[in-house]
Amino acid sequence: MTDTVLEVRNLKVAFPSAGGVIRAVEGIDLVTEKGECVALVGESGCGKSVTALSVMKLLRTPPAVSRIDTHRLDGRDLTRLTDREMERIRGKDMAIIFQDAMTALNPVMTVGKQIDEVYRRHLRLTKKEARKRTVSALKLVGVPEARSRANSYPHELSGGMRQRVLIALAFACMPKLIIADEPTTSLDVTIQAQVLDVLKSMQREHDVSALLITHDLSVVANMANTVYVMYSGKIVERAALKELFAEPLHPYTQGLLASVPRLSDRKQAFVQIPDTVPHPLHKPSGCYFHPRCFRAGDPCRQRMPRLNGLEDGRQVRCFDPLRQERETPS
Amino acid sequence: MRINRSPSDPLLELDRVSVHFPVKRTTPFSKRRFIQAVTDVGLRIAEGETFGIVGESGCGKSTLANAMIGMVRPTAGSVRFQGDDLYALKRSAFKAARRNMQMIFQDPFSSLNPRFSVYDIIREPLYIRGGVSDAAMRSKVLELLKLVGLDEEDLNRYPSDFSGGQRQRIGIARAIILNPTFLVCDEPVSGLDVSVHAQILNLLMDIQKSRNLTYVFISHNLAVVKNVCQSLLVMYLGKVMEAGQSDAVFAAPLHPYTKALLSAILDIDVHGTRDRIILKGDIPSPIDPPAGCRFWQRCPFAMRGCETIPADLVDVEEGHRVACHLVSGFSSEQIAAGMDQPVSPQPVR
Amino acid sequence: MSKRRVLLQVARRGGSILTLFKKVWQHPKGRVGLIIAGFLVLVAVLAPVLAPYDPYDVTQRAAKGLRPSWQHPLGTTITTGQDILSMLIYGSRVSLAIGLSAGLALAFLGALMGVMAGYIGGFADNLIMRIVDVLLVIPTLPLIIVLTNLLGRSYVVIVLVFVAFGWTGLARVIRSLVLVLKNSNYVKAAELAGASRWYVMTKHILPGTSHLIIMNTTLTCAGIMVAEAGLSFLGLGDPTAISWGKMLAEAQGGGALLFGAWWWILAPGAGIFLAVFSFMRIGLVMEEIFNPRMKTSSSIHKLFKHLNNTYLDEVFRSMEDDEAAEPAEQPVRVNPFAAGSGHD
Repeated sequence: MTDTVLEVRNLKVAFPSAGGVIRAVEGIDLVTEKGECVALVGESGCGKSVTALSVMKLLRTPPAVSRIDTHRLDGRDLTRLTDREMERIRGKDMAIIFQDAMTALNPVMTVGKQIDEVYRRHLRLTKKEARKRTVSALKLVGVPEARSRANSYPHELSGGMRQRVLIALAFACMPKLIIADEPTTSLDVTIQAQVLDVLKSMQREHDVSALLITHDLSVVANMANTVYVMYSGKIVERAALKELFAEPLHPYTQGLLASVPRLSDRKQAFVQIPDTVPHPLHKPSGCYFHPRCFRAGDPCRQRMPRLNGLEDGRQVRCFDPLRQERETPS
Repeated sequence: MRINRSPSDPLLELDRVSVHFPVKRTTPFSKRRFIQAVTDVGLRIAEGETFGIVGESGCGKSTLANAMIGMVRPTAGSVRFQGDDLYALKRSAFKAARRNMQMIFQDPFSSLNPRFSVYDIIREPLYIRGGVSDAAMRSKVLELLKLVGLDEEDLNRYPSDFSGGQRQRIGIARAIILNPTFLVCDEPVSGLDVSVHAQILNLLMDIQKSRNLTYVFISHNLAVVKNVCQSLLVMYLGKVMEAGQSDAVFAAPLHPYTKALLSAILDIDVHGTRDRIILKGDIPSPIDPPAGCRFWQRCPFAMRGCETIPADLVDVEEGHRVACHLVSGFSSEQIAAGMDQPVSPQPVR
Repeated sequence: MSKRRVLLQVARRGGSILTLFKKVWQHPKGRVGLIIAGFLVLVAVLAPVLAPYDPYDVTQRAAKGLRPSWQHPLGTTITTGQDILSMLIYGSRVSLAIGLSAGLALAFLGALMGVMAGYIGGFADNLIMRIVDVLLVIPTLPLIIVLTNLLGRSYVVIVLVFVAFGWTGLARVIRSLVLVLKNSNYVKAAELAGASRWYVMTKHILPGTSHLIIMNTTLTCAGIMVAEAGLSFLGLGDPTAISWGKMLAEAQGGGALLFGAWWWILAPGAGIFLAVFSFMRIGLVMEEIFNPRMKTSSSIHKLFKHLNNTYLDEVFRSMEDDEAAEPAEQPVRVNPFAAGSGHD
């Protein structure tokens, strides 16, 4: 269980633009063990999608500029690999499931052909063999009448079906790492439950590591083992799932958790975090969260806190995390 | 508006409203098919109430909302607003009635004209109605701008300068400038960041309280609906599955679809485990839906009779109605015919 | 509506067009297009002033077939001794006049039809679209040949045929856009407040299509100029006018290739090329502006050249955690190429 599958250290991504430099990702570390599902939680503009693309080395540079200290997949160093070599890895050892299936799938190719392609390219199977594997992959993700459905075009399928096709595509070669970027956000609630179920069982059964990128805490609660909370380009907290939800240390995490409406709530005003996420070109001084933080003090306005590691393996980036309150009896 | 209306009369009343759209025929000889977007929906909304409409895509909630505000004429049934049949009104009365209604849209990025400044956007309804001087318009817009939490200097900016939550605020200001009595909120926070949901919802609730507005709140998030709505209806494929006072419905959800929706809200309480009902199959198309219960193909508890025998809405208790054979049962002849036998294995589309 | 309000709105509408051209100017490729197009327009307008000789002057028999020299920078024609440079300058008038007039008239008609079909819908939509279908089928070149035979060779006929048949393309495109705009939520909100159809059409739909119309018009002008050159080459244009296409025809007929008078062919060819190139350039840059995803990376490459590496290093260093421990040294957030760009 101590095989590290993904190791990313000190990833930084910036986008020079006419208005200044957009600091999209400011030095984050991500580590995934075998079979572990790691969630990267954050809202729009926090840099999580850019992170996903960087891990797959799909980020276009230019316009992006990125630096990274360590980038390993199953021990293999990816930093110096050429595009050619990366192409052999993508789809085979590392795969990504995008949010919008309609734009992720080729609209003029049948879904079966698209999955066939993965097999033929990476595993060098013949047409027949590939099609056999494709049909079984579709069956595995719960597409009914898989053999005939394989000949459908993406627009002929419903949203949930398309998303299952994306899952089948990603799992086709049983990669070591699956990145799921908001895999169910655009789906209806009941379909979302179905698709997540499939994703979760595929991931657990085949012991595949997953990097789950989402803003939806309920999805995280259902799938993840470890959670990284990201805010405005920085990781502000990292903890195991249960601990994070039971005892969030960073005020932002606490605010996020509190602001999700629950069935058990009584009829009262919703808990809200004031203001909005900072504009990527105009980040506040000091800690990026301080303008919205109810605990902000002087050091928070001047300096950016470091990501401190705590004894139990948790990490938090805060001068005054919530735990201290608990330790000092009132 | 009828003069002899009492405050206890419903503000909006729908009576067996159906909206069916014809599908273009490929040849003049093929059978005419219909998209049955909304079928046989009835509801009453009291003044000052927040009424929830819950459902997923294809359930007809948007069409229903459009029918309520005079955008789409029902093919059957009536829509009574403040006592008057909305679609029977003469043109000027119709326009006057509609000025009492406004809508807040789901997508904050396409609901504002990108070429209009914030000032233009918010004052537009007032400008269209006319009869107000420029100075009065400006002060009204400023007042609303502050109410929704924006600044005076935002007046000359354009939507592209704002985040999703702020655009939604602009949309809210635009919606209330004519002092409507009735506001349809169509998934007002679905397109926004989670940390902003609460802000916008609280704003909507505050405005409702201070101006005594009546809301129709469309959402698929039952947790939010439970918090803000006094009554609700659950729709599937154009028909009402379950309806009633929200306290009653949430205390005892009876329809399998309602239960599935509730269990699909992934609880973020990791300590508890709930029975998850995961539906099979996809949401079918509203063209030529099945004759019996519309939900039967995905229902985990479907019986043979559900396929052909339509389920009527019956009162289960005070303020709680359900359309389900599991609840209302079959007649004795139907039971004799074996209609109550469960269908297994579940058919999958 | 007060007069002042109307003027303000026209200014705003014109203003947005002006800002569009400003953006085109800022784009390096667009700037080239604007400069060349502007230059050509100037040449056409100031032709009588700029041309050293009267281009129609066919009396200089001694000056026939001269090679380029100081007196005749582009030489003279073999057949008639006309000064080619003067002909070139006057030729720009025909190309630009036809290109711009046909283009603008076509844009007006096409936009009008497109908006009517899209917004009114129903019967009007069907009628207009069927007309479009019919017009698209009729081949314009044989029609022009027939008409010029019947009515005499002139540019009026050509322009009329271009306009009468060319509006269809724009109408279709505008109609699609109008259909989308018609269903926008902000239009719905206006209708709820009681907006009339006229209000929606003039306040929301038309402004929403203006950019598309301008871009399309620019590209159409380019196409018309090529077409006109071709028709003039075939001799279908006004025989008394000087046009680049006609010059090419004369050059071919007069044996330019035979006698190696390459300047006679190059001059009008270059003229046509520059006119079409500049307009297309402008149109394509406009398209890029409207659809930022089409941007190629070349402009960003230039951005990179400006950004010196040490600045980027500074930015990345400031992201480090230990850097963050120092309170005073906040990373420099100054825009190195600000130069008063007036950006927020």
